[in-house]
Amino acid sequence: MPESGPPRLASWVLERRLPAEIGEAVSGDLEHEYRRRTVPGRARLLADLWFWAQVIALRSGSLRRAARRLSAARPSYERNHPGRAARVDSDLWSKILMNPHDLKYAFRRLIRTPGFTAVAVLSLALGIGANTAMFSVVNAVLLRGLPVSNPSELVEVYTSDSDGYVYATSSLPDYLDLKPGLDGIFNGVVGTRNFITRVEAEGGDELVMGELVSGDYFEVLGVPMALGRGFLSEEDATPGTHPVVILGHAEWVTRYGSDPGVIGRTVRLSQLLYTVVGVAHEDFTGSMPVLVAGYYVPLMMTDVVMGRDSNGQIERRSSRSMFMKARLAPGISVEQANAALAAFSNALAEEYPESNENRVMTAMPRGDVSIHPFVDRVLTPVAGLLLGVVGLVLLIACANLASFLLARAEDRRKEIAVRLALGAGRWTLIRQLLTETMMLALMGGVAGLWIANWTVELMMAFQPPLPVPVDFDVSLDANVLMFTLGVSTLAGLMFGLAPALQATNPDVAPTLKGDAGRTGKRGRFNLRNILVIAQVGFSFVLLIGAGLFVRSLQKAQQIDPGFDTGPAAMIWPDTDLSGGMGEDERRLFFAAFEERLLADPAIDRVTMADRLPLGAAIQTNSFILPGVPSDTPDGDHDIDVATVTPSYFETMGVAIVRGEPFDAATVEGEPVIIVSEAFVSRYYPGENVVGRTIDRGEQSVRIVGVASDTKVRTLGEAPRPYVYDLQGQGEFIGMQVVVKGSGTSAELLSAARRVLREVDPNMAVIEAKTMNEHLSLLLFPPRMAALLLTVFGGLALLLAAIGIYGVVSYAVSKRTRELGIRMSLGASANDVVQMAIGGGMRLVVIGALVGLVLAAGVTWALSGFLYGIGPNDIVTFVTIPVLLSGVALVAAWVPARRASLVDPVRALRSE
Amino acid sequence: MGKGSHLGDLEELILLTVLRLGEDAHGGRVRDELKELAGRSVSVSTVYVTLMRLEEKGYARSWKGEPTSERGGKAKRHYEVSPEGAEVLEAVRRVRDRIWQGIEAISTEAAGA
Repeated sequence: MPESGPPRLASWVLERRLPAEIGEAVSGDLEHEYRRRTVPGRARLLADLWFWAQVIALRSGSLRRAARRLSAARPSYERNHPGRAARVDSDLWSKILMNPHDLKYAFRRLIRTPGFTAVAVLSLALGIGANTAMFSVVNAVLLRGLPVSNPSELVEVYTSDSDGYVYATSSLPDYLDLKPGLDGIFNGVVGTRNFITRVEAEGGDELVMGELVSGDYFEVLGVPMALGRGFLSEEDATPGTHPVVILGHAEWVTRYGSDPGVIGRTVRLSQLLYTVVGVAHEDFTGSMPVLVAGYYVPLMMTDVVMGRDSNGQIERRSSRSMFMKARLAPGISVEQANAALAAFSNALAEEYPESNENRVMTAMPRGDVSIHPFVDRVLTPVAGLLLGVVGLVLLIACANLASFLLARAEDRRKEIAVRLALGAGRWTLIRQLLTETMMLALMGGVAGLWIANWTVELMMAFQPPLPVPVDFDVSLDANVLMFTLGVSTLAGLMFGLAPALQATNPDVAPTLKGDAGRTGKRGRFNLRNILVIAQVGFSFVLLIGAGLFVRSLQKAQQIDPGFDTGPAAMIWPDTDLSGGMGEDERRLFFAAFEERLLADPAIDRVTMADRLPLGAAIQTNSFILPGVPSDTPDGDHDIDVATVTPSYFETMGVAIVRGEPFDAATVEGEPVIIVSEAFVSRYYPGENVVGRTIDRGEQSVRIVGVASDTKVRTLGEAPRPYVYDLQGQGEFIGMQVVVKGSGTSAELLSAARRVLREVDPNMAVIEAKTMNEHLSLLLFPPRMAALLLTVFGGLALLLAAIGIYGVVSYAVSKRTRELGIRMSLGASANDVVQMAIGGGMRLVVIGALVGLVLAAGVTWALSGFLYGIGPNDIVTFVTIPVLLSGVALVAAWVPARRASLVDPVRALRSE
Repeated sequence: MGKGSHLGDLEELILLTVLRLGEDAHGGRVRDELKELAGRSVSVSTVYVTLMRLEEKGYARSWKGEPTSERGGKAKRHYEVSPEGAEVLEAVRRVRDRIWQGIEAISTEAAGA
């Protein structure tokens, strides 16, 4: 299990800073207080920070002196580690960084130039904050392993599906056979399945994620209980007989107030009462990283939990909805496990050919999987993109810091030369510079922490519009914070120290004479200029990225989805999860609901569908299309389907272009479907398909009409074949109700909710949303991308502007005397401004050109993320350079203008 | 009083706190108690430096306690006031009492005015 104590690195430093005599007592006290400061279920970042502050602020020297005097006065004083006493003076930390004299000196210097300090700290903070926040999110979703014991022994086991897709889900009977079947290969196999359940809450039931788990789940994974016990083997032995539940830790804290008396109490999940037997460990949030499980229920409760009548998922080998994890036996490799699984799958296929033919189980090391191989493949490039973006921001921030320290070091050459001439040691000077940089880094780190915290909160506020709250467990990662802090400090040190070392060169005469300041470093491409060029280049790339995503979002919003997006509300009553409703009951419920909705004055039209276009769910059926060949061995075609009531087309504003809409009268008759235009153009181009019959499994269905195309899965897709089934012939499972009327979407939604309460006050709602909210689901990724990139691009622009400002104002300040001479010889203020800006803008132009080349090389990687525009979108590539040069011009103009206002006489006297 | 027996302000407060806490006196508790009773936030370093100085002067004694899990398996250091420490506290108190007796009447009068 992960450690619940203070940060390990901090403890390590602490130990080294404490004298042996008193070390244990002090670190024990601090650790004790640290634990008091960590509130269960909350991020322990603040406590971590507090602990670090204590470690840094510890008065190591005083403690050591006191301990030494005490041992001298009382030789009998017991020592915990006699060997350590010899190391009393070896606290490098105190020696280098916490020398009070140096600290005071560095502090005074930083205070004397508040502008410089603020800019340096801000740059660092933005770079560190953005990176820490972004990495923490990626870490929470993709990188952080499961908090289980010996995770390297754990493998995911998948069963291939009929299309040959390897990483598909498994069936419960297969799992039960596998469990004892591969003894010696696996030390335990667990089965899990996520479900959504209703929990009583103030102001109506809430939907919470749960996980069906095998009885040995916690034992095999090695997850201890925070309270109570794990499941007993008899509790997962017989279907539906043991309604027991283990609470997730966060659920226990938030919903049950961390009440230890919860064990033995009953809780109602959907319709059934369960007895609480335990609370899982705090660090464990379920077997899927993103879905935080509030309740764990034995697998044998599957049929009860899933609530579908007569479904018998526990017995049905063809019903595959489970994930399996297994622990490898000692000395067994993944290859050996795969060989054994292949043999086992063969045996199953022989015994149950109708369900298991060509189904092969595969093991994959848990460490290679984040969420699921399929999801990982989608998320990894997104995560890579985002980390790349914040990495660029960090680079720009580092360049800023380096550039400032460089300028500062150059300024100090004279001072350093004087002090060297007066006999100061090189080491002392270097130590002072080091202290100053470390102080900057520390301030930047603390400020960065706040920015990171704030950014994560901001990002978490953007919940994807899904029915269940997606509950990322994002805690800021102390390691990333330390890493980014380290990188940026190192960059600062490198640039701050190099000139300092150069300045401490014994040959001090030219510097003392003041030549260096005026004549040196006027070259076109000194280090600072190169840094500014790099900054401009990088921010150019980021801004181009941001521009592309913003344009893509605009395009996406303009795409016509093919159905009426005017005011409407959608409500999805939970008739399936409730468990109690049979098919006839559901039919009656929906009939009553529709009738009452239509009676409401606010509502004009009502329709129902088990799937709405551009929703989160994808459902397809396999059809055999006479006369249309297929690549699959079975000769079938997977086509997207939805089951709708007759009023669907009129209500959704989808035209029937040929044939007839569904008719209430056909409900009782032969199975009929309506197909989309894309269906016709793909499979039967140029033909009239109305009246044609196609096959779905054993069933023949007749096409009665052709509907105009709508977007089905995504906004960017080409017209997709779509088949509408007629509800009434189906079972009314998962029906979502769409209402339209004269009012706004919000008014329609509240009317629909009100009517639902009248029809059945106990009916829970899976999802209720307006048309706009529905559409925002698909726009969520582009909107998020546009937002993030704009924020980070803006940040980069700001940092680059600061860099340009710094370079120009520094150059101007070095040339005060020269400018004074020019002005006294008749140069106008305008000439001076132009000259000063010119130097800065030359760097901007070079930087922008570099950025253009970089951007052209990078944007192709974005093409997969963009809607409606190419990666070389001309509008973006014109707008961004204009924006960039505008901002750069202002950044250069401000210090240049200031220079031109200087009184020439005073400028001449300045040195 | 000789040089070695002088008791600084913080030393006095901490020694008194140790006395008051009795069995329960260890670094962390002393710190909490000081904050609560005297309103003084003292850093961990200061508390231990002072405790060690008190020990060096012979006013306090300490010994290692049992390790506990909430301290990360680290032992507390228990403190008690030595007879010499009790004596010096008593002496400080006598001095203060003597001085206060002279000004009590004035201070209440001043407060009433």
